[in-house]
Amino acid sequence: MSALIEKLLPQVAGEDDGSFGALRRKAQKVLMKHGFPHRKTENWKYLPLGLLEKRTFSDAVPDRAATPSLPTYPFEAGVIHFHNGRLDPDSCRLPDGVSLTGMLPADIDVSALDDTGPADAFAWLNLARFDQGWKLRVDGRPDEPLVVATTCDDEFDVAVHPRLCVELAEGATLTLIETQGGPGAGLINGVLDLRLGARSSLTHVIERCFAETALIQRTAARVSDAAAYRAFILDGGGPLTRQDLVAELVSPGATAGISGVATLSGRALVDYHTAIEHRVGGTESHENFRILADDQSTGVFNGRIHILRGADDSHSQMNTGNLLLSENARINTKPELEIHAEDVTASHGATIGQLDDDARFYLRSRGLSEAQAIALLKYGFAAAVFDTMASGAVRDWLTDRLKEHL
Amino acid sequence: MLNIKNLHVAVGGEEIIKGLDLEVGPGELHAIMGPNGSGKSTLGYALAGRDGYEVTDGSVEFDGRDLLELEVEQRAAAGLFLALQYPVEIPGVNNAYFLRAALNAQRKARGEEEVDSMAFLKTVREQLKALKMDEALLKRAVNEGFSGGEKKRNEIVQLAVLQPKLAILDETDSGLDIDALKLVAEGVNRLRDENRSFIVITHYQRLLEYLVPDRVHVLSDGRIAESGDRSLAQRLEREGYAFLDTAEA
Repeated sequence: MSALIEKLLPQVAGEDDGSFGALRRKAQKVLMKHGFPHRKTENWKYLPLGLLEKRTFSDAVPDRAATPSLPTYPFEAGVIHFHNGRLDPDSCRLPDGVSLTGMLPADIDVSALDDTGPADAFAWLNLARFDQGWKLRVDGRPDEPLVVATTCDDEFDVAVHPRLCVELAEGATLTLIETQGGPGAGLINGVLDLRLGARSSLTHVIERCFAETALIQRTAARVSDAAAYRAFILDGGGPLTRQDLVAELVSPGATAGISGVATLSGRALVDYHTAIEHRVGGTESHENFRILADDQSTGVFNGRIHILRGADDSHSQMNTGNLLLSENARINTKPELEIHAEDVTASHGATIGQLDDDARFYLRSRGLSEAQAIALLKYGFAAAVFDTMASGAVRDWLTDRLKEHL
Repeated sequence: MLNIKNLHVAVGGEEIIKGLDLEVGPGELHAIMGPNGSGKSTLGYALAGRDGYEVTDGSVEFDGRDLLELEVEQRAAAGLFLALQYPVEIPGVNNAYFLRAALNAQRKARGEEEVDSMAFLKTVREQLKALKMDEALLKRAVNEGFSGGEKKRNEIVQLAVLQPKLAILDETDSGLDIDALKLVAEGVNRLRDENRSFIVITHYQRLLEYLVPDRVHVLSDGRIAESGDRSLAQRLEREGYAFLDTAEA
């Protein structure tokens, strides 16, 4: 068995927890059989998991020494705060219409996970090892957004496996803002399940930047009848950031949009694998993802659009643009279209380039310094991705954060 | 204002400007004409300091300073403006934001205070109105999706807001219909005064009907082959550049 298995799966529960026992045992079985992905596992080939093998993870989550500080936001919002992998109940405040309860086995659906190979090993690991799962239920249309803040401190040197399910009732609307960051050298191996009821609408914002923390995150959105899922992502990366984002359009009228920017410097690494599954006809999706890679950073984007047999009259559009800002930065980008239906429109485009000399000269010839010109061009390249977001305080905050990332 | 002596400029190792002398006084408007490939745009880029336009010999004094010592943005702050033949599109960068950032960068470099945002917007709106441009262009990305004429007029808006001492217009008339050409020329004429100078690079005499030049120069093979008053432009319109061959022969 690999060193990573020994490190991350020392002893699986199974006996300890009656309610989740069967699921955990299945997860352990898959993991023991197939192990973790490696360089020859197609969807994981760019991710240097050796970095995790080199690290030592403590067995216990560090005790909470003091009240962990919560980031501040320039807008009113409900908050759920996970610190060092654990819910901090003292700093939680839920908007009206949102409830938080412990997760039940019925809240976990593993039908979409691959159990025939190592591709979904970390999602299985999460299932085997998660400490306490939580479920958010949204009824109605809360007036304010809900922030799910994930923080860690210097003491954070463990592997944690947070698990959250967000369920929107029929017609519900929510702006969910995940903010993630911190200095600790642990591993967060998270799973987030999003379930959008009929005619519901979820705006899902992710803003993250880790100094030392490794993150492996699987997010899956199941979008039903005429519901709308919109993701807006600003990712500064970390030593190892892997994001799988799956949107399943399961009923007619369901739509999904993914708009993301990764701003990378130093030795940061992000590896995004997105998949939009058009399971039925009359569904629409669009995706726009930009990576700006400076210094010795690495950005990976694999965007897959899958229109299944019978999902006729589906429409999908994907664009990925990438900017190499240094000779030592690396970007791997791959749009994938797989279409088995009739009467569909599906398009994709991918570019990798450098800052345009003409544009840089043009800005400087108007008086901007070289540094100002570069910053403005980078911002211009990235910011348009958020144009599809409804204007307001959250969008202003996100674009301000983008300027700080750049 | 501008004193160019024996300027030599090479691009990609090939000499394009081959010993050019030109003196432009305060408040003067000089037109530079000449056949394709004669070095007109190269002169504009070299004066603006663009990378790849290597000055191999000669000197350029601008408003009492050695222009060639200055970086691109320092030349702008010193009062030099180049209106490009092909204005560049800057996706994602708001036109008003860019123009204000540019103005403030220049003011900061000159030790002046930042411009008041209300006063700035008022000025820009006046210029847009004068050039018959939709105010909505302010909120759009710089030149993105602009028609050719809008791009050229946008250069004049920038010129009017930045108020340079010397403006070089590189074929600002190309691609403009007659109405747009008049608007651009009126925009430039409004900015003419006893201290501000212009170098207008053009292929056609038509623009010079609206922008009356003090001097007209014909550039040929990297040198000024002929200079004269505005009648020179009229002669070029009638006879073309064939006389240059005769003169050189």
